[in-house]
Amino acid sequence: MSLDLTRVAGQVSAMISRLGDGRDEDRRRLRFAVDTLNSPAINLEALKRKIAASRTTWLVAELVEGLNRHYPSPPLPRDFTVIAADGSHIDVDRHHSTRCYLINIGAAVIKYGNQPDACLSSLPRLYSEDKDLAITPPGNGRRQPVEGTILGVKRSVEECQRLAELTAGAPDGSDCLALLDGTLILWGLEAYPDFVTDVLLNNGLLKCLGAMKKLNAGRRVAMASYISFPRSTDVVNVLRVAICPNDAPDCDRDCPPGRERDCEAVADVRDRDIFMDLLETGERSALFISPSRIVKERYGEHRIYFFYLRAGDEIARIEIPQWVAESQPLLDLTQCLVLDQVKRGQGYPVVLSEAHEQAVVTGADRESFWELVEVSLVEEHLPGTGSAKSFSKRTRWI
Amino acid sequence: MRSINKDSPKKIAEVIEASATQFSAQCYELYEIPPLGSLVRTGDIYGVVAGAETTSLEPGRKPIARGKDEASEEAVYESSPQLAKLLRSELTAAVVGFKNGDKVVQYLPPQPARIHGFVYLCQPDEIRDFSRSFGFLNTLIDADLPVPDEEVVAATLRQMSQAHGDSRTFLVAAGKELAALLSNDYLRLKNILGRLTPA
Repeated sequence: MSLDLTRVAGQVSAMISRLGDGRDEDRRRLRFAVDTLNSPAINLEALKRKIAASRTTWLVAELVEGLNRHYPSPPLPRDFTVIAADGSHIDVDRHHSTRCYLINIGAAVIKYGNQPDACLSSLPRLYSEDKDLAITPPGNGRRQPVEGTILGVKRSVEECQRLAELTAGAPDGSDCLALLDGTLILWGLEAYPDFVTDVLLNNGLLKCLGAMKKLNAGRRVAMASYISFPRSTDVVNVLRVAICPNDAPDCDRDCPPGRERDCEAVADVRDRDIFMDLLETGERSALFISPSRIVKERYGEHRIYFFYLRAGDEIARIEIPQWVAESQPLLDLTQCLVLDQVKRGQGYPVVLSEAHEQAVVTGADRESFWELVEVSLVEEHLPGTGSAKSFSKRTRWI
Repeated sequence: MRSINKDSPKKIAEVIEASATQFSAQCYELYEIPPLGSLVRTGDIYGVVAGAETTSLEPGRKPIARGKDEASEEAVYESSPQLAKLLRSELTAAVVGFKNGDKVVQYLPPQPARIHGFVYLCQPDEIRDFSRSFGFLNTLIDADLPVPDEEVVAATLRQMSQAHGDSRTFLVAAGKELAALLSNDYLRLKNILGRLTPA
């Protein structure tokens, strides 16, 4: 039996009417948040000290400059190249007897200006050897299987590797922007042991970022990631600290559960709401630094900065490594090229959509892949018993 | 399979679908489709271009209008260089004969064309060699083509006539052959003959 939509319809109506109820309150909170951001009473240095002294239950962006600074887009260079990589994967399926996973990396290199050209490609790779299926700690210890969250992180690392390879091969003499979809912060690793982080972050993502940084000899090569419709509240949390009446806010000590908090005045507001109000089309916000623990402890010279960009009808969050943030030419290049990509791509960077199109693995592709594995097992006369559950899903009866 | 010597004409497309009577081929360059009625060859099989289309490479992705703010059609492609990689031009050829050893025969070959077979545009000497007789006209008239068969037959004869020194003599001979083939269908004959004059 498929989903009974007639039963869902009533619940959808109830959900929609609840959403409409709180709109006035939402508007009041947003107004207050924007006014606080623009308030001349905010002293940047004092606020930085207050943030450093605070112990909050939420993450607060680190400040670089005035909260409400905003910058128009710099002019577009004549010739430039944009490069993106994106990935899809087929996870290890415990219902199949063959343990393996597949990562498909799609990429797009688009050259604009004098000699416009494009190159679209995809590289599927199957992993089935022991060294691929688990990350081994140095010496002895419990091995970390590569599946689920860790496979997702490995895929992000491979996207960045492909991006670095293609960027290294980009034509000399033209400005270049290397772009990824989603965040540069490998949050997923925070829950895993250090040896996993060493492999995927230090010898993975950060190595690739380092390789791209080195390409900046004699030409401009910027690197960024694009987050569409971000849900982050790092900047709103700065406002929470700013409006907290305590000099050194400590959420657990000062505001135990059940007690009314002053900072609730900006509750449910997201960074994108504030910047939608503040930024004109094409403008970017001030720079901020990611407050995440893994960035502080592990990213070193690639510490993640971010800004918000009014790109078309939405606010996008652009994350960049420190070496892009600290170079005005690279920062300008990032802003104008991302914006240009959004314009060309009907609201989303065209190079990212093309890389995604190359990477995508559909439900039908997944079925064909497992079928190919099973047929190959049969041809080689190897036993290929799957689980009874997967058999029952494929062979339905009454 | 016929070997390709160094004098072979340049390959222009590659077979992606084949049946006993037709084959479709994707052109290597966008919009570089040989004219309707051109004689092409894949392996030993000869075909006549009987249809062509340019579409999105992926069925689910439809092109959208992009030129509102562009000065020229070229500018649309320059602003979106990826377009050339996302569109494809395809030709459909009606099979009209094949090479049996050194002999050209004008009836259907025993096997259809091979998928991924290279498609070559025939050069004047090969066209002259093929069009020494008009057996292919009967095959074309009876074929189930994507374009009205009067158009395809006339276009084929116009194209072939250019390879002959005396194109008028060639067309007159072809017209006589058609008159015999379509003696009971005056309207079709008239439609074809009316389209034989080169533009």
